[in-house]
Amino acid sequence: MSNMMTFDDRLTRPMPTVDPIRKQGDGDGPSKPDVKRPESRNILDRMKRVDPNQAKRYRQRSGQ
Amino acid sequence: MIGIETEYGIYVEGKGAQDLVVEATHLVKLCPPPVATGWDYSREHPRRDVRGFTVDHLSVDPHDAQFEQTGRPHSTDIEVRSDRVLPSGARLYNDHGHPEFSTPECTTLRELIASDRAGERVMQACAERRMNRMGGGLVALYKNNTDFHGSSYGTHESFLIQRSLPFDQLLEGILPFFTTRQIFAGAGKVGTEHAGGTTASDKIPFQLSQRADFFSTIASVDTLYNRPIVNTRDEPHADARRYRRFHVICGDANLCEMSTLLKVGTTLLVLRLLETGWRVPQGIQLRDPVAAIKQISQDQSFRWQAERFGGGLIGAVEIQRAYLAAAKEKLTGLSDETDTVLVEWEQVLNRLEADPMSLSDTLDWAAKRTLLEEFREAEKLEWSDPTLISLDLEYHNVDPEAGLYYGLEQEGRVRRFVTDDEIAAAVTHPPAGSPRAQVRGLAVSKFAEAVKSVTWSRLTLDDGSGQTAVIKMSQVQDLDPAAVAATLGTTATPAEFVAALTNLERSSGTAAAIDTVDADTDTDDD
Repeated sequence: MSNMMTFDDRLTRPMPTVDPIRKQGDGDGPSKPDVKRPESRNILDRMKRVDPNQAKRYRQRSGQ
Repeated sequence: MIGIETEYGIYVEGKGAQDLVVEATHLVKLCPPPVATGWDYSREHPRRDVRGFTVDHLSVDPHDAQFEQTGRPHSTDIEVRSDRVLPSGARLYNDHGHPEFSTPECTTLRELIASDRAGERVMQACAERRMNRMGGGLVALYKNNTDFHGSSYGTHESFLIQRSLPFDQLLEGILPFFTTRQIFAGAGKVGTEHAGGTTASDKIPFQLSQRADFFSTIASVDTLYNRPIVNTRDEPHADARRYRRFHVICGDANLCEMSTLLKVGTTLLVLRLLETGWRVPQGIQLRDPVAAIKQISQDQSFRWQAERFGGGLIGAVEIQRAYLAAAKEKLTGLSDETDTVLVEWEQVLNRLEADPMSLSDTLDWAAKRTLLEEFREAEKLEWSDPTLISLDLEYHNVDPEAGLYYGLEQEGRVRRFVTDDEIAAAVTHPPAGSPRAQVRGLAVSKFAEAVKSVTWSRLTLDDGSGQTAVIKMSQVQDLDPAAVAATLGTTATPAEFVAALTNLERSSGTAAAIDTVDADTDTDDD
């Protein structure tokens, strides 16, 4: 077989393997850290304009 | 020689994941001119493994395979991939439904950070052209690594290293470093990601890394699925007898320039250490690096501990301090940038131990977490509120009017390493210290139509007189970059360009960088 890349190298094919990302739940974790909160009026206004559902609609192809 | 390649997330209003290959193609084709085309895939070898074998095929994500069943054109078609080579020497193309920006080869961290951030400008320019010319609503581009539904895409670093460094020694030496560098290089992510979604709770509201959830093995040639912490692809894009290109896939996409400085700068120093024969102390080896990279990323105590090989726990900061101590001893004074990285590395480790959130002006994960905490407090939200995931996403939006990182930058709340002028220059000009990027970029900016084919390791130019010149970057690499810029910058025709480069290589005493043989008959290994 040639070592050179073929376009098939970029095809998506199902593989009988398990990705840990698709079997994980929350798990346990330590308590939350103490976080400082500086003033930021303008950026808070920008954050309020973000559509709360944007991430729900955001779907991507799996990449490298 | 160093570089960063970033697969951007792409959102087009009204379109789904099944449409993104087509949409990414539209986008890269709208890259502002001048650009050259004709990327030569026949010289790429993503299945070749540094351990001395070539796999038959690369693993792919079965969840993603559903999008290949639609009957639409897929990314195996060269027209769909639509490679563009830019006047900076950078590459822009459609990689599997993601517009990917690869910086040109850089020789300093300053050049690299300016080039990486220039990629954000190029991508936003493409998005604006897409909206203005094709309509159809909002197009947004995200410099991040996850869609929060279980699909990840990469930000890869490339380091040219000596092939004489045995791979086993490289692997042993780099694993504890890669497992723990996320404490300063992570871009931060709300919650943990699992099949089809993201869950944020009081137990794990936020983690250090965008990518940590996605690693399932220590070392492999795969990148699309069953991702490894250490990628073993053997594709040097340089003289294969002397060099390897260490292709790093475990990093996050960074917006904070100081995060990029630390991520790439410390990795560069660790690789230099390993090239000197330095061996990592037994006491900092980890029992299970794949488990540890997740554990450290998710640790809310900020102790970031993992199980040491041989028993007991060790903290990520302690592991990083072992590398720092060796680098200070062996590499201090090597260059101004080396000393800058050593100082920043030590200071950030000190602050991570004393007061991690004081790094909200320096590190992406701390900047993002601080922003989200502010918003949560102002709006009285629980971590489980999905709004926070949308805000996480918008941190990475490269539209200066919308992106939350850009908002922080505009308010002066993050440290900078390069100036906006340096970033703007890096959009259109190759890095001054890189002769390879100078040759490629100048050829594109001056004679884009004459560029017949391009790879990272060579450029084929029609000189207009019936001859085709193949310029080998492995030979150009050793030329004086200032002389390359001065000599080629004044040429008026492709023939003059080739002649000037030929004269330069002769006067420099380097091996022939230009052949006039047909590229198809040239079998030199890249």
